[in-house]
Amino acid sequence: MKYTTFNQQSTNPLAEPMFFGNPVNVARYDQQKHQIFEKLIEKQISFFWRPEEVDVSKDRVDFQKLSEPEKHIFISNLKYQTLLDSVQGRSPNIAFLPIVSLPELETWIETWSFFETIHSRSYTHILRNLFADPSEVFEDIVLNEEIKRRATDISRYYDDLIFATQLWQTQGEGVHQVDGQSYTVNLRELKKKMFLCMNSVNALEAVRFYVSFACTFAFAERELMEGNSKIIRLIARDENLHLSSTQHILNLWAKGKDDPEMAEIAEECREEARDIFLNAVEQEKQWAAYLFQHGSMIGLNKDILCQYVEYIANHRMAAIGMDTPFEVKSNPLPWMNNYLNSDNVQVAPQESEISSYLVGQIDSEVSVDDFGDFDL
Amino acid sequence: MKMDKLYIIHLDEQTQLACHKDQTLLENLEAHKVEVHFHCREGFCGACRTKLIEGQVEYITDPLAYIDDDEILPCCCKAKSDLKIKLS
Repeated sequence: MKYTTFNQQSTNPLAEPMFFGNPVNVARYDQQKHQIFEKLIEKQISFFWRPEEVDVSKDRVDFQKLSEPEKHIFISNLKYQTLLDSVQGRSPNIAFLPIVSLPELETWIETWSFFETIHSRSYTHILRNLFADPSEVFEDIVLNEEIKRRATDISRYYDDLIFATQLWQTQGEGVHQVDGQSYTVNLRELKKKMFLCMNSVNALEAVRFYVSFACTFAFAERELMEGNSKIIRLIARDENLHLSSTQHILNLWAKGKDDPEMAEIAEECREEARDIFLNAVEQEKQWAAYLFQHGSMIGLNKDILCQYVEYIANHRMAAIGMDTPFEVKSNPLPWMNNYLNSDNVQVAPQESEISSYLVGQIDSEVSVDDFGDFDL
Repeated sequence: MKMDKLYIIHLDEQTQLACHKDQTLLENLEAHKVEVHFHCREGFCGACRTKLIEGQVEYITDPLAYIDDDEILPCCCKAKSDLKIKLS
């Protein structure tokens, strides 16, 4: 089915599935098939923040004091997060918007992606403060083998879905030859790719950030790199919200509350989806090993970090109806919760620059006329 | 403290906790030093998801995280009756 930017057929958005129905026409939010996405949009917008609001200048001094292994940990994590948000800032838009069928979900995807671009901008903000020329750090992201391996896995499911969607929307169902390779395109296959892609995104939002979050907050526990930690706290709050949306999508499918065919696919691809999640967990553990290869940092080592990943993974696998394969029962890094608590994002104004205020609430324009009735 | 402001949480056969109705479920559990996983404390991350076996709760913030029909988010709800819950 050819994509159109304004579908002139009358559609009933309350009867459409989330994806692969009719293209959205009127962007209306007075009624929603799945109210949750409208609520997520509102919540996400209320979280709006700008990296420049966070003062990171003290971090430059702290960074010079870090040991070489600690510098490696800090910079590697920033590179990895830059990769993750580079992918997330564009991929939901490119992969999901051409096939979305509900206006509230369409806008949620755009809002979600937009916030990932704020995250990307904040990494530049942090790095520009630490280095006169951060090019070397950015350029290494496409050269570093450890990061490349993760990039392959993260982008694979997106790329697969995007390519199949392009074939489907331009050539329709059937077997198509592209560059000497033949591809079978039908709606069922597309929906499978969609399901696997959403599982991969869910795993990304659920566990892929948490090794680097833990390192950042471990520095902050030692009162180091606090500007950076404040930014990462804002990012973590957003990521929790994004995760909530992918969990909703997966559960709506699995429970048959959206497209009945997706419920069948969820059952059929259960093992594959579980493998995607476990693979992400495994890669995070390998990442922890890479981070600490030159030595660990105070308060954190590879083993505790791996346990934390397992602990988080258990909870997040349970949230989408999977089993909990790991032994860890209690939180190995309880202090992490203080940084992930959204109340603590707000800080006392005398302590730092505040980022949790409403923007544009006061008219600060003053004209000569305003003093017209003043008498001296 | 008047009795009607108190209620009981049954965690298992042995454990019963006396709790205050004007505090959230999570605050009550923490007061009794029960370890509950939490992140946002605002109902959008779902980290504190808990099974409600018996009883009723009311939400002080609209929960945005995914919860099943038999689950509650202790961070943003208060009890309306005695509760029987199962922590994950």
